[in-house]
Amino acid sequence: MKNRIPISLRHTTVLAALLVLTLYGGLILSLGWFLELPTLRETLTSARTLFSIQLSLVGATVAACLAILLAVPAAYALSRYRFRGREMVDTILEFPIIVSPAALGAILLIFFNNPLGEWVQSHGVRFVFTFAGIVLAQFITILGVATRLLKTSFDEVPLELETVARSLGATPRHAFFSVTLPLARRGLLAAFILSWAKALGEFGATIMVAGTMAMRTETLPIAIYMRLASADIEGTVALILVLVATGLAALSLSRWLLGKVAHA
Amino acid sequence: MLEVESLSVAAGDFRLRDVNLRIAEGECHAVLGPSGSGKSTLLNAVLGILPPQEGHIRLSGTEITYQPIERRGLGYLPQQIGLFPHLTVRDNIAYSARARGIPADQFRPLMDKLVEATGIGELLARWPHTLSGGERQRVGLVRALTSQPRLVLLDEPFTSLNQSLRRELWWLVRELQQQRRLTVLLVTHDLTEAYFLADRISVLMSGRIQQSGDKTAVYRHPATPDVARFLGVNNLWEGIVTGQDGDYLTIECPTLGITAHIAAGNNPPTLQTRVTVGILAEHVALRDADHPPKPDEHTLTGRIRLLDFGPRWLIQFHHVASGLILELHMNRRAAEHFGLKDAKTSIMIGLPNSGLFWMRTK
Repeated sequence: MKNRIPISLRHTTVLAALLVLTLYGGLILSLGWFLELPTLRETLTSARTLFSIQLSLVGATVAACLAILLAVPAAYALSRYRFRGREMVDTILEFPIIVSPAALGAILLIFFNNPLGEWVQSHGVRFVFTFAGIVLAQFITILGVATRLLKTSFDEVPLELETVARSLGATPRHAFFSVTLPLARRGLLAAFILSWAKALGEFGATIMVAGTMAMRTETLPIAIYMRLASADIEGTVALILVLVATGLAALSLSRWLLGKVAHA
Repeated sequence: MLEVESLSVAAGDFRLRDVNLRIAEGECHAVLGPSGSGKSTLLNAVLGILPPQEGHIRLSGTEITYQPIERRGLGYLPQQIGLFPHLTVRDNIAYSARARGIPADQFRPLMDKLVEATGIGELLARWPHTLSGGERQRVGLVRALTSQPRLVLLDEPFTSLNQSLRRELWWLVRELQQQRRLTVLLVTHDLTEAYFLADRISVLMSGRIQQSGDKTAVYRHPATPDVARFLGVNNLWEGIVTGQDGDYLTIECPTLGITAHIAAGNNPPTLQTRVTVGILAEHVALRDADHPPKPDEHTLTGRIRLLDFGPRWLIQFHHVASGLILELHMNRRAAEHFGLKDAKTSIMIGLPNSGLFWMRTK
């Protein structure tokens, strides 16, 4: 009988998990080949880069806040009520995932060229080639994900707890704010941080709506694209590292906060 | 106090039909039924989660059929108790006061009384996930009562507990119910729980109330064979009404070869009506073969089929002539007196006319 090396399910799956780390980690480490510290220092301290970082952080934060503001009631309705059009709303949440961000941005741009879009631009807020356009592009991209994540969180809060709260005299609104929302706080925080991180790295829709104007609409991902387009590899590497560091810091913060919330 | 009148409620494919129920003030009323009978649907309609299609629900004379839950004045203790996991025991209990905007100094005396009565004073600073099953039930009960409900709804809240803990909580509920004159609607599938806690019971089966009344009367005189079987009465057989003499019916029971004389009741059947005759296991007596038969009692001879040595001995009697199996209860001392040791022992049993009852066969 041949001696066979037993390959357990544990071995196979752990290997796959480590491969994921190797792929992403390897790609990040490979940036070191083109890393030049003087260029990194110069890039990080340049007014243009600092503007891009600030624009990205502010834009992603505003977009994530707006998305959460709309996603919370929408997700609650999808989780708790049966209403006409519910299935369609539930399906459309995946729309930003199946349509590429570039196509999503193109749809927005086309909208602002139709009579209604033009009216919105002339009588309300100008979106094309502006900060508001960046926020809108990011908002549209992350809204579906934020709603989906929040719906899952609300689904996990037993409806019975709201019923008990109401039997104790709470109105539906009071029961929502005093029972459901506090119990969904982990999901709320996770949805905000993931939406924020996705908005921070958003490129396709933003470039379509806001363009690539330096010191005006140049977010970090757009700045990376612009540097690469001008064959400035070292500058591109420096900006990528800024984006990676910001993103990883946000995700670490989220894991820490989620841990705190879970034990609160 | 609570009046449910001609209530019909749909819950998915299931429908609760034409339910009528009355619970007097200070009464504990149990709605008993097997799984899927509609107990929870009825409770949810009274609670306000399920809007009825027809009928009325009135509480203290006020129509609450379509009132929102928070305005019904109910205390609700669900199966899973539903303590808010993000609040301490104290905050759970104080929730109703906060929700209604009642100042703490007004609410405190009632809370202190209930906390003392249920012995949960030491739990106030703890979180729900650190409580044992019994402690959670006590806290849930106190929380439900702090809103000073007009009606308390108990949805099988003790099913997950072990027998001794359940009994302890049953005593507590009964004590609180009697002390505070609470009006309680309990839904349960557990006969022992219903008979321990309730004054009156309703048996719900297939979405309809089959029988309502005093718990002893329902147990002693089930209205239908289905109700009887649900209440654990397995001694049932067929009969035909062959005569009526005053308040008594003469019922021929060909299976057992006896002619029974049973109280006719308020709505007696006509002659030649097929009925089901029954007797509770505790009314079946073991008889000595050497002694002459008692008047007004039918004796049957047969064999022990099975013996169940539980807290009360349950004997399955096999009437060989008809093939019918009857059950009888017996304590250990009586069983020893008759020398009952194992199956197949030949015995004689007595069915007194006074213990027999009849039901209409569907």
